[in-house]
Amino acid sequence: MTTSLLSVSIALSSVLLSGVGSIFPAPIQGGLTNGNTIDALGILIFGVILLAASMLNTIFLIWWERKLLGRFMDRRGAMHVGYAGLLQNFADGFKLFRKDTVRPRDADSMGFFVGPTAYLVTSLVIFAILPISTGWNSGNLPLSLLLAITIFSFAPLFIFISAWSSNNKYSLIGGMRSAAQMIAYEVPILLAIVAVVIVSGTFSLDTIVTEQQNYWYWGPLFLAMVVFVAGMLAEMERIPFDLPEAEAELVEGWNTEYGGMMFAYFMLTDYVRVLLGCFLIVLLFLGGWTMPSWVPSAWTSFPLAGIFWFMLKAYAVFTVFVWIRASLPRVRTDQLLRVGWNRMIPLSLVSIVLAAGLVLAKCLPVFGCLPNLGG
Amino acid sequence: MSEMWINMGPQHPMTHGLWNLRVKIDGEQVLDVDPEMGYLHRGIEKISEDRHYNEVITLMDRCCYVAGLSWEHLYVLAAEQALHVQPPERAEYIRVMSDEFQRIGSHVMWYAAFVQDIGLMTPFLYGMRDRDLVLDLFQSYTGARMTYEYMRVGGVRNDLPPGFIGEARKVCDWLIDRFVEYDQLCLNSDIFHKRCDGLGVMNARACIDHGITGPMLRSAGVRRDLRKDRPYSAYDRLEFDVAHAEAGDVTARYLVRMEEMRQSIRIIRQTLDWLEHHPGPVLAQELPRWLGAPYAPVGREGYLLKRNYPKGLGFSAIEEPHGEALAYVVNEGSEHPYRVKFRSPVFANVSAARQYLVGYRIADIPPIMGSVDVCVGEVDR
Repeated sequence: MTTSLLSVSIALSSVLLSGVGSIFPAPIQGGLTNGNTIDALGILIFGVILLAASMLNTIFLIWWERKLLGRFMDRRGAMHVGYAGLLQNFADGFKLFRKDTVRPRDADSMGFFVGPTAYLVTSLVIFAILPISTGWNSGNLPLSLLLAITIFSFAPLFIFISAWSSNNKYSLIGGMRSAAQMIAYEVPILLAIVAVVIVSGTFSLDTIVTEQQNYWYWGPLFLAMVVFVAGMLAEMERIPFDLPEAEAELVEGWNTEYGGMMFAYFMLTDYVRVLLGCFLIVLLFLGGWTMPSWVPSAWTSFPLAGIFWFMLKAYAVFTVFVWIRASLPRVRTDQLLRVGWNRMIPLSLVSIVLAAGLVLAKCLPVFGCLPNLGG
Repeated sequence: MSEMWINMGPQHPMTHGLWNLRVKIDGEQVLDVDPEMGYLHRGIEKISEDRHYNEVITLMDRCCYVAGLSWEHLYVLAAEQALHVQPPERAEYIRVMSDEFQRIGSHVMWYAAFVQDIGLMTPFLYGMRDRDLVLDLFQSYTGARMTYEYMRVGGVRNDLPPGFIGEARKVCDWLIDRFVEYDQLCLNSDIFHKRCDGLGVMNARACIDHGITGPMLRSAGVRRDLRKDRPYSAYDRLEFDVAHAEAGDVTARYLVRMEEMRQSIRIIRQTLDWLEHHPGPVLAQELPRWLGAPYAPVGREGYLLKRNYPKGLGFSAIEEPHGEALAYVVNEGSEHPYRVKFRSPVFANVSAARQYLVGYRIADIPPIMGSVDVCVGEVDR
């Protein structure tokens, strides 16, 4: 696929600008049709398309989770707004949008408002970095994996800022838990990524996916994937690792004091991060947008086939997450820390050794022979 | 973080009602707790002194909103003793069956709330779904799903509707399968054991010292059950085992309640068999006129009787789903009870909170308090 989202956006911007420019006198027209202006507007359009697409996806994700959870719980989930409740989340969003944002009197106004906003923005930025198909990102950065993970792990900082500034004891405890949790899962996640980097030899997500043309990494790097998925569950703060917002004891933890649109920011960002987590898992271990060669070529050659398969995999991963949420209780903070330090870090170290061994022994192509692993 | 007091309640997801648990914490560690009750006090005992004997039953439904029939049973037993009334045998069996269905309803409700406390979402809805079947049964013979007003001094208000026994048997069969499902969702999960084993331990001595009764006491290894030790109604004619466990922790309380539900099904099946073959009256025939038929207008004539009606004292003790509930009714010869006093098991169980909460973590409070099964309606009355 040669077209990319960025080139489409720039082409769109050039059409727009030349059309608009033709009604202006020459000097302004020249300025408008200048290559820099076209690029600038093109990048803006790219951003807007990306934002809209990711938001729509996030909202659909919430709907999918509600429906799935409903089925797991022997009920039907949202049913009344839109077909099968598809528009329910829009209704909920508009309700929150119309509500006042109430700031507690003793809360720190700076941190109280900056926290959620930064939380949302830093999470959305990652969509520009993650490729969802060839060319469908802002550019093939050589260190895109590192950048994505770095921005991804900003979140506990902002959670902590908003928790502390809302001046509520539950929020404070939730924020503390979030910070403690970060230490426990951030290290194993990074170590698991090291295994991927060893096998693929690159930090670029595009290249990692192209390297998986022959075999997806979940086969050779199964251990790393298990660690990564468990760490991601904690990173996304989902059951069984949703201690910072444990509703039973902490009344939603760090977002206790937030209402209206500020709460919507948190809620939305949670799911943005879930979507990002699923994307990362698909990119690193499930072959991104590539499909095994035994899949009929007609299934992989239609327009936007890459995006289709990528999203399908991402939603499949998310379905597993919902399944986990529907069937597991929540662990305790000390238990999570113990799992993080005593189990996940050693396991991720073992997975690094395994990955290095596989590369050194040159037995990676073996996995290409197994048809169900791809290749 | 320094030490601080936080209020878990009166509006808090952990409380399952309207009460306040003040907790002194250092980080995640619980240093001290202080349960505060009384947010739901309605003065039921005092109001009872101004009501006719059968009107007090309405208040009993409000005592515990998940075990209304058990509390009705408690009161009518004491009132019958005070008024020297003997209910017919069929009424006794219907009461026992209602009690046991109520126990299942209450325990299933407890299960739903408890799993929610440890973060399990799905079984919550399974519990609520299955409780509805029990409520449907109640609706079919009492007409209500929550505030039944079904038992009467001297029997019960009406007989079971036709076809009830078959329906009840179906519900029993359905529920006994669901209990297996409940256990699979909880006991087969490692995280469940990580969250519940060894938490909130109360040994037998401490339980007895604090007046703790019911499943909490039995989970500490004490086989005390008023249905066996001081049989009332028809319990002496029914076969069942006393559920008990040894560990005294949250898991043990879970196991005890689950086993109690199975035993309840066993009791219900026996009562259904008996009820099927023994038709008869369900309300005593020789009642005082002002107690007579349900909804009989009670006017000035009631006052005429108070001079010549024999006085009496009534005491009853039943094994309510939460523990041992006691009632004391004083009949001074008028149509109102002179004094009514209840003993709520949950009040004693919650009052000992310092014993089983201090030393654990803040995340342990919901499972431990959940395993106590707090029903604030009967605590505050």
